[in-house]
Formats: sequence, structure tokens, C-alpha cells
Amino acid sequence: MSSEVEKIVEFKIHRFDPKQKRHYVSTYKVPVRKGTTLLDALMYTKDNLDETLAFRHSCRMGVCGSCGIMVNGKPMLACYTQVLHLESDSLVIEPLQNMPIIKDLIVDIQPFFDTYDRIKTFLIKPEDKLRKPDEFIQAPAELKRYWDLTLCIKCSICYSACPAVIDERFLGPSTYVTNYRFISDSRDEGIDERLKPMAENVWLCTSCNSCTLFCPKEVDCSNSIVDEHSLMVETGDIPRTVKDVLTSVVRYHNPTGTHPSKRMDWAKDLKIKTFPMVTKADVLYFVGCSPAYDPRNQEIARSMASIFNNLGVDFATLGTEEWCCGDHILRLGEKGLFEIVAEHNVTMFEKFEADRIVTLSPHCYNTFKNDKPYSDAGLQVQHYTQFVAEAIERGKLELSRAVNKRVTYHDPCFLGKRNEIFDAPRQILESLNGLELVEMKRVKENSFCCGGGAGRVWTEDAAPEKRPCVNRVREALELAVEVIATACPFCITTLEDAVKVLDAEDKIVVEDILELLKEAI
Amino acid sequence: METLTHDIVIVGAGLAGLRAAVAAAEFSSKIDIAVISKVYPVRSHSVCAQGGTAAVLREGDSNDLHAWDTVKGSDFLADQDIVEFFVKQAPEEIVTLEHWGCPWSRTDDGKINQRPFGGHSFPRACFAADMTGFHEMHTLYGKATAYDNIKFYDEWFVTSLIVEDNVAKGLTVINLKTGDMHAFRTKAIIMATGGYARIYEFTTFSHTATGDGMTIAYRAGVPLKDMEFIQFHPTGLVPSGILITGGARGEGGYLINAKGERFMKRYAPEKMELAPRDIVSRAETTEIQEGLGLESPYGPYIALDLRHLGEEKINERLPLIRDVAIKLSGVDPVKEPIPIRPAAHYSMGGIHANIKTETPLSGFYAAGECSCLNVHGANRLGTNSTTDCLVFGTVAGEEAAKYALSNSFREIPREKILTEERRVFDEILGREGDERVSVIRDEMRRIMSEKMWVFRKGDELESALKELRNLKERFKNIRVEDKGRTFNTGLVAALQLDFTLDLAEVTIAGALPRTESRGAHSRPDYPKRDDENWLKHTLAYYTKEGPRLEYIPVTITKWPPAVRAY
Repeated sequence: MSSEVEKIVEFKIHRFDPKQKRHYVSTYKVPVRKGTTLLDALMYTKDNLDETLAFRHSCRMGVCGSCGIMVNGKPMLACYTQVLHLESDSLVIEPLQNMPIIKDLIVDIQPFFDTYDRIKTFLIKPEDKLRKPDEFIQAPAELKRYWDLTLCIKCSICYSACPAVIDERFLGPSTYVTNYRFISDSRDEGIDERLKPMAENVWLCTSCNSCTLFCPKEVDCSNSIVDEHSLMVETGDIPRTVKDVLTSVVRYHNPTGTHPSKRMDWAKDLKIKTFPMVTKADVLYFVGCSPAYDPRNQEIARSMASIFNNLGVDFATLGTEEWCCGDHILRLGEKGLFEIVAEHNVTMFEKFEADRIVTLSPHCYNTFKNDKPYSDAGLQVQHYTQFVAEAIERGKLELSRAVNKRVTYHDPCFLGKRNEIFDAPRQILESLNGLELVEMKRVKENSFCCGGGAGRVWTEDAAPEKRPCVNRVREALELAVEVIATACPFCITTLEDAVKVLDAEDKIVVEDILELLKEAI
Repeated sequence: METLTHDIVIVGAGLAGLRAAVAAAEFSSKIDIAVISKVYPVRSHSVCAQGGTAAVLREGDSNDLHAWDTVKGSDFLADQDIVEFFVKQAPEEIVTLEHWGCPWSRTDDGKINQRPFGGHSFPRACFAADMTGFHEMHTLYGKATAYDNIKFYDEWFVTSLIVEDNVAKGLTVINLKTGDMHAFRTKAIIMATGGYARIYEFTTFSHTATGDGMTIAYRAGVPLKDMEFIQFHPTGLVPSGILITGGARGEGGYLINAKGERFMKRYAPEKMELAPRDIVSRAETTEIQEGLGLESPYGPYIALDLRHLGEEKINERLPLIRDVAIKLSGVDPVKEPIPIRPAAHYSMGGIHANIKTETPLSGFYAAGECSCLNVHGANRLGTNSTTDCLVFGTVAGEEAAKYALSNSFREIPREKILTEERRVFDEILGREGDERVSVIRDEMRRIMSEKMWVFRKGDELESALKELRNLKERFKNIRVEDKGRTFNTGLVAALQLDFTLDLAEVTIAGALPRTESRGAHSRPDYPKRDDENWLKHTLAYYTKEGPRLEYIPVTITKWPPAVRAY
């Protein structure tokens, strides 16, 4: 007995024939009813349309972790997703990423499981305590501290979505979660043994949040890794590169090691209003450390200023009282230092009277929006892409010159994955005359991180082949575009690095959306 | 063909298999252990166990009470010496898992919490929310992978046992990734491959639960015991059959018919919803047959109402089933009753083994659901199965270790391997017939659902047996479309179907002559338990013509059969 067929959905399944080493696509039309899961549809296909289709499945209730697949670019459990909920008449089904394909939708998941061999996956206790026949006491509140982290089903979806795992030193999101699960278990006495296997590699996490975003069990992998960073910071046993970043923020209130008196150097000769000369403006322009100090990205800071001027916006900056927003510092686990810089900035925001804050960096935007104490301060904050898209929509920006370029857009994680700002940047690009926007395969929620988050933009030490940015630029090169546009200074830095590494400077350039916009004005 | 050698080979990496592996590894670091599983260990069906694991931990409970509940629940078919051993060992297993990190749910004073469960007269189900099996599995997996002397062969598929002179010498196994067949030469083998409820369509079981190990043992001459006793779980989610834990009733959930009535008062006035599973499933089926089921596009169902428990308790104690009900049935148990009906759930029967998990075949052990020792008799109590896996997984690991230390490797006759290669690759994969595996599989499931369900009658069983034997003939004419070797899921499906057809046959063949109603075996044509003629275990031996049945007595120690009322 079953309910009525609601619609016919087209399944375009990417397949791999291991014998011929051939990739191909098979298309099937599958009748879908209320309650039909992706797995039901795959099984219907195998039973009725094509018995040779290969995929894994077992429990069909979201606990065994067998059936992870990519659906329209997003990784999910086939058994835990109803087809009707996807609201699409055509679905592209692919195997999970970051693992070699064995056949059709079946990937070699062994590398994922191997990462667990590098940590201890059981309670660590002195032998004499383990020999006692009594249960250990654990209060419900103590259990609650790590319970959510025990829900990982080892489906490898986080591993598939993670940009850092392309470097084998990285353990993978769920393995760090398991490690942290034991660290947070009040019964465990093995903290030193647990910190050791991650001391060198946990810094490869870029905090892109893909793991947390796609976890079918809603395990917060990303924040667990931040908590592990905190533990490492507490021990003091951290890589020199990380230490340098933190020390610089303590000393100079920016992570670049530059004296804070130079914070406004980017604006030389631009006559930009700054605090404390000015204490009131329509827009408080929060420049951010990279655009303020990095010679390459100062160009972006200037572009924004000229667009404000073009729009006739009354804007000002905090000048040397603008401190690092702390986003990277927080993700690096230095929560105390984050609080210091955040409290300073919040105090400044209170002293400065503005309708809204506009940030250049998605990282500043994100932390202002989502992290205490900023999020408690009731800030009106926009990323510049939102501000500019609004202006364009209201017809306030005259875009007279054509930008005849073939461009792809790289979604910054802290704008896209973390704040769901996917449309504003695209609206700006699409409004530029002559510009042809070509999308990469991995876009929006499923965008592939540039590798710059959580301070990694300053601490990068991976071999070029293992850098997420190189992987990403390769993807863009396949599209034969002239420009990778993005909307984040750190993405600019990492992607430009990758273009150099790939020796592709004559083929492709990396530009901020603001730079393209300036060309159009 | 490469031959691989290990002192002990464990087939299956669910609760029993992993527990056996750790027990053997702990027994001696000199023993070299292989764990072969057709899925990655944490994909095993054990992760679906939800409600709890029974053990006597607290004042007010006792081993005798747990044993009595188990024996009474079994409708007096359990072997009582084994039940007594089982309940005695259970607490140690709970604490052992606790010491390895199992996140047991806790009481306010920090002790392992226990909830009430159907058929148990004391709240003795230790639980980890409603993901008990899941957490036990991940705890065991975390422990087992840490031993240097345990090697995992994940996604390797066992096809047969190599036996000579009543001694188990090895196995033939396909490495699914390459598609190559290998021989495993070993001193001792532990079968821990789980149940076979996938002979049914409406089942709580994972798609991979196809009872391979039972058939492999059966074909190698080891008898299967009490296979007619299949448990139907009272609360399979409509329409998928996904398990909704008995813990939902343990926490206070109601079963409601179309009239809004808690109908269990007419079937088990004292225990109500917490009567054993056979009784509740029969009650639900009777209600539905009498037209008192609720209507849905998927047929009549019963309502499991948890609303009065409140959101907080549901989230704390039953988070998984809330999520599953919302995601897969579109029903939020906080706001609406869950649609359920009986679903095939567990095999009380299995590979004939004794209290040491030894089978009649030397060097061959069985533990967990694929085995039958017999703890559960004609009806297993909820939460006794995970306990069974832990207790007898440990026993199997230790016994196999002792055996391996005192025996040497035997030569594997090459001819046996070649014969098996021909059977799998020439006869099954190479066959160019015109029958489809999925069609025969669905047909088998239809037969079993129509004629070998909660109630079964003699004439229906006879016709089921005929139909099933016809299906077995049709199987000889199948065609596997995928002719490649690499990860051939079509071949795996064919091999599994081949195994399940034998099991379906044995199940019906055992049910047909048993002219009584006992536990989960309910015959409207013989509605009474018949201790005079049927207080005995069925043994089914493989023959080419079908199972040959023998019977052995039940061991009674303290509790002579009595009236079973709840």
C-alpha cells in the first residue's frame, strides 16, 4: 500500500565505471510520493530501471551513516532526505567529495576512518580505576556537556565538505569532534594524550563551517575545533605563526605586525573623516586590518571610499581607534584576547554616532553579527555587498562603463556559509554591463573555502598542492574565466597566492567586487 | 587466490562481533584476530537498537527476577541454565562499556539510569537516550580499533565456511572493493552476523540484515534452532517500518485504537502497554483485523501517543525517534500520535550453540542474534538482545581464544575454494537467466508477510512453503545485470537473496509442524500452548530436499512452565 504519486523527478546520477575508468551520467525518471526519500528513489531505480547502479545503504533511518551523497551540490544522507522537500524536478546526484570514487556513488571511505587511528577513541583512566568493578559517577549536567558531540554517525559528510582535509595532516572534522568529546567527558583523565595528536594540525581548520552546516546530526564540529584551539592556546604549545598573530594583536591591535599608527596609511591624501575628529556620520566604515595594512588590499579600501564618495554618502572611520575585530582571534581560540578587542570596538561604536556600520571584510561582519559582546550591542551592520547592492537597486550608482570580462564569483565562507549572503554579490556583478558571470561547480552553501579563515591566511604552511586556495583556483581555471571575483580581503590574498603557485598569472586575476565596480563607474 | 591467515576470524562487526573481538584480544595479545564485515562496523544493524540494555544493577532488583521475567517472557522455551548465566553476567558488561566511555544516561546522583521496559518487572533497561545500540557500538568500535592484534576487513563479504571432518577450517570471502575471492585460514571462527528480518518488507531492520551467517552455517551442516520464532515489534513506524523504541512505552506512551481507547486493557490489564512484544503485537493485529485501526493511505494503523509526556521529556529521553518521526513520517510526536503497526523485528532462533557459544562444529562459535543458545525462547523481552550480544560476545571471544591457543592451523583443501568460486562467479554472477533478483526478493517478502506474519495457520504455511520452494527454483534462473567485479552490489544482492530464501524456508518449515501457540509463534488453528508435545526446541538440518527437523528438550532449572498472564 502506498500513497499517490505526486510527481516524476529526474535523477541525473554521476557514475563511474571502474573497469573502463569512465565517468558518465545516467538519467532516470522516478515517481515520487509523499515520504519518498532519496534512498527510496535510488532503490526504486536499482530495482526497476537499472540494476547496475551502485550505492551504499543500510539502516534507512539516519543512524548508520552509509548513504551520504551529493545532491545538487550539497552533501546529505539519502535516507534522511525526502525528495519532495528538495522542491526540484531535477536532481544531480554525485558521490561524496574528497575521497576516491570506487564505483558510481561509492567512494573509498577508508582514508576517513583511518584518521581515527591517530587519536584515542576510548576513556583514558589510570589502570587501577579501570579495574574497579564500579561505575564512574557522572552527573546529568556533566553528561550534557559532551552529549551532542557523541551523536556523530561517522557518515563522512563533514570530511567530504571540508577544505582542510586535502592536507593529510588534518584529522578531519569528526575526528577532532571525537577527540573533544573525550576531552569534555568528566570521566576522562587523558588530556595530555588527547592534545598531542592535534597540536600541529588543528590549526589547518579554516572555520569555514561546512562541517557544521552539513552534519545530518547537527554536531557542531566547527566550534568544537575552536574549543580545541582554546585548549592549545591555554597550554601555550602553539605554532610560532599562530603565536605571532596573537602577539601582534596584543601589541598592535592588528594581526599584521604593523604599528597601529599606520592604520590609516591606505587613505593618505583621500581626506577621509576619522574619529575622534568626527564623532558622527551616516555610515561608520569599518575597514578591517587586511585592507588597512596589506598593500594589495589597501586598493580595496580605497575603492570602497571612492564608491562612498560617488554615492555622496556621509562616512567616517574610527581611524587608529579601529582595532582588529577579533574574528580570527576568536576562531584561533584566544577568547580572552577576543574579548579585549571586542570590548574596545563596542565602546567605540557607542562613542561614535552612526546609522550603520559597513564592513569590507565578511569576517568583521560575521563577528559583529554573531559573537558576543558585539551581538548584544544591537549594531546595525552591513557587509559592503549588501550596502552596494541596495544602492544599485535604488538606481543611485551610475554604472556607465562596460566591464567586458568573463568572471566567476568565489563565495567567501563568512559571507555565504555563515551568513547566507549569496545574492547581493551576484546582483552587483550582474548589474555590470558587459560582465559575463560564470558559476563554478561549488557555489553558495557548497562553496569551497579559500583556506584563509581562522587565521590561516597568516599561518599557511601547507605544501602548495595541499592548500585549499590552489584547489579552488584550479576549479576556476577550468571555466576559462579571466577574473575570480570575491568579496573578502583574505580570499583575495589566498587566491592570489594560488594563482602565483599555479603560475597562472597570465590567465587569471583575482579581484574584489569593488575593484570591478570601480571600473564600471 | 590469496589465502589470508588469522588465529580467529570473527564474521560480523555489530555488538556481538566487536565485543567478541575485544574479549579475544584482551584474553591474549598473542592471538591474531580478524574481523570481517560486509559493511564498515559502525554501519552494522546494532546501531539501530534504541531502548536499552537489561541488567540488574540496583537494590530491589535481583538476578532471579530478571531470569524469571526472561523465562516467562520466553513462554518457557528458554533454556534456564543459560538464562541464569546470562543475567549474572549482564551487570559486568554494562560497567565495562561504561569504563570504555559509553555515555549512559544518568540519574540525578550520577549513576547509570534505568527505565521500565515491556515484560520486565523492574526498571532495569540501562539506556543512552534512545540510541543505546548506537552508543554501545561506537564505544566498542573505539575500543576494538585500538588493539594491534585486531585487523578489520571492512566491506568483505563471506560466502561460505570451509569444513572438513566436522572441523571449521576457514572461510571464503569476497573483497567487495576488488571483487576478488580470498580464502581465510583460521583456527577458530565466530559467527556474529545478526538477524534476517529482511525476509519481510515491513521490518524494523536495516537493508543489510539478511542473515548471511545463519545460512552459511546451515549449509555447512550446523543446525538452525527455533527459527519459527520471529518477533514482531509492536511499534514499527508507518509506512517505513523504522523502529520506534519500546522505550516510548517504557517512558509512558499509550497505544490507542480508532475509538481513542487504550485497548491493551483488554489484553494485558496489569502491564498494559508494557506487556511483552508478542502480546502487544497480537493485540494490535487483532484490533486492526476487527476494524479498529486508524485509516491512512498506507493501510490501517495504531496510534502511539506520547503527547502527555511533554516536549522536555521527549527531547531528553526520545530525541532520535522524534527526529525520525518528523523527518520520515512528517509527524511530530510532541503534537500528534505516531502511526505504528507491528513490524518484523528479531529472530529468537539461530545457529544452534551452547552456553559457551560452541556449535556442533569444532572451532565454530556463534553469538548475538544469528545464534540461538537459547536465552529468548519463544519471545524475547525488549533490551535483552543487546545484553545477549555483550554477554555472549564476550564468551565467544574468550572461548574462541582458548580454542585457538590449543589448536593449530589446518590446511584448506584447494578444491573447496575452487568449487565456491565456481558457485559465486560462474553459477550466480555468470548465469544468463531471465529472473530478476528484486522480483524474487519482493515475492519472498510478500509470501512471508501474507502467510508467516503475527498469526499463521497450517494451510497458509503449507501453501507458503510450496510458493517459496517454487521461488528457490526460479532463483536458479536469475540474471545479475552488472557483470563487473568491483563493488558489485548486484552480486551481493543475489548472494543475500540466496541466503534469505533458505532462511525463509526453514522458518516456515519449523512453524508448520509446531501445532501450538507459544510466544511469537501464534497459530489460530492451535491457539493453546502445548507443553506436553511442544516444550522442545526445533533443530533444522540442511539437506538438498529442504530442512530435516529434529527436536531437543528445553532445560528447566527453577521455573516449571506456568500460565503466562500479564
